[in-house]
Amino acid sequence: MKKNNIRLLFGIAILPALFFQNNITALFLQTLYAIFLALSSGRKFKLLPNLILLVGLSLAHLLQPNGLLLFTLGSFPITLGSLILGSHKAFLLISLIYLSQYMVSSRPTFPGKLGALISMQLFYFGQISLTWSTIVPKKPFIGAIDKLLFQLEEPSHDYKETFLSKDEKILPKVIHLILFWTLFSLGKVFANWPL
Amino acid sequence: MNHLRLLDALIFIIALIIIALSFIAFGELGGRPEVHVRSAGKEWVYDLSVDAFATFEGPVGKTTVQIKDNKVRVVDSDCKNKVCIAAGWVSRPGQWIICLPNDVFVLIEGSSVEEDVDDTSY
Amino acid sequence: MTHRTKMNVEFVALLAAFALFLSTVEYMIPKPIPFMRIGLANLPLIIGLGVLTYREYFLLALLKVIGQGLISGTLFSYIGLFSLGGTLASSTVMLLLFIVFKEKISLLGISIAGATASNVVQIELARLVLFGSAARFIAPPFLIAGLITSILLGLFANRFVTTSTWYKKHKESSL
Repeated sequence: MKKNNIRLLFGIAILPALFFQNNITALFLQTLYAIFLALSSGRKFKLLPNLILLVGLSLAHLLQPNGLLLFTLGSFPITLGSLILGSHKAFLLISLIYLSQYMVSSRPTFPGKLGALISMQLFYFGQISLTWSTIVPKKPFIGAIDKLLFQLEEPSHDYKETFLSKDEKILPKVIHLILFWTLFSLGKVFANWPL
Repeated sequence: MNHLRLLDALIFIIALIIIALSFIAFGELGGRPEVHVRSAGKEWVYDLSVDAFATFEGPVGKTTVQIKDNKVRVVDSDCKNKVCIAAGWVSRPGQWIICLPNDVFVLIEGSSVEEDVDDTSY
Repeated sequence: MTHRTKMNVEFVALLAAFALFLSTVEYMIPKPIPFMRIGLANLPLIIGLGVLTYREYFLLALLKVIGQGLISGTLFSYIGLFSLGGTLASSTVMLLLFIVFKEKISLLGISIAGATASNVVQIELARLVLFGSAARFIAPPFLIAGLITSILLGLFANRFVTTSTWYKKHKESSL
């Protein structure tokens, strides 16, 4: 098992615990945990876009009333079941995003030619970002892009392998796996709470 | 392939048509019939066009309501007479089913698709 | 498209990297709605229509999706699914239009068609997986934004293909 791929593989093992989660409280906890994992791997968490997702999806689901009537806006029913369904989808989406970020944070390598190509692509990406800052003036714009692309095709920018020497400890990953699946089991046990 | 052509305008118009179609789908809002269930002082609301099962607890036990194919009925109930079950399916706004012993009242609200001038709900 | 038979993978990787670069540029542009995507990253695909082989073209599309998914980290989430569906749809539509109409269509029409195809597919996927029937409420603004940005992108692509010396060099060597 390549070092880079450990997070990816554990992440894949965690995915079903999210997909098949039925209990919204447990899913919420799993989402928090996924955000924590992403933060610990260097990613950022911005509250606003996630909040917009949560509110947006919940609102969208309110259009199909389901369950206990909480109150009405004019003649529009606000039902608990719809809110739960909408926020469930939102938490699933959010938890997947952050888990995915964690999975990808150790630069996993895909097997075969595709993997090599992706590495090459990412390498060039780094080169582009570096080279772009050296290109002055940036007007006329198309001319600047031309300069950038010509420079990148020069032999000095040829692809070089870079090795990631980060240390990956297995134990924390196992703990993550156990915790996600524990939350899943708890969700199954307390399946109807809160209704 | 880099100078504007007639086909570009054609594609633009097709895209506009697609957008217009999406607005039409957008506009079909509201007036969808709802199933309202009142029990124990509380109220539940469901969309008549979405198949569903819902169970309600009352003084004598459970009463289960089923929504299917834009119709609703009481499919099971712990009451003695089972009058509510015998009432069968209802589908039009204003129609209702009641299980008195178990305090469950099912009512279809909203505007109907076809307007029946002679429609009575009793 | 070109009639080269041998794949030039370094070239594809470079274009794919350029797509990633454009993605990050797009990320920096403030957007009123966080998940509205402008699709700047489609530029290499549109431009590539004239200089790539069929296999290189679809390889570019695939690399674009995977690369974006890795950089943003969302590859294994629904976002990655939407990205894959959208890019697959738009690249297929654009290629078909390019092959069928050749000189009778410019990159503007191709860009619009690609963006519309991509958005329609993404809205449908979002409907299936996230929103349910409520997806019809996000459809109009999404499609309108896509139309506007694809027009701008198409116009820019037209200009690029006419003005860029880099493009000319690759076009000549591929004939």
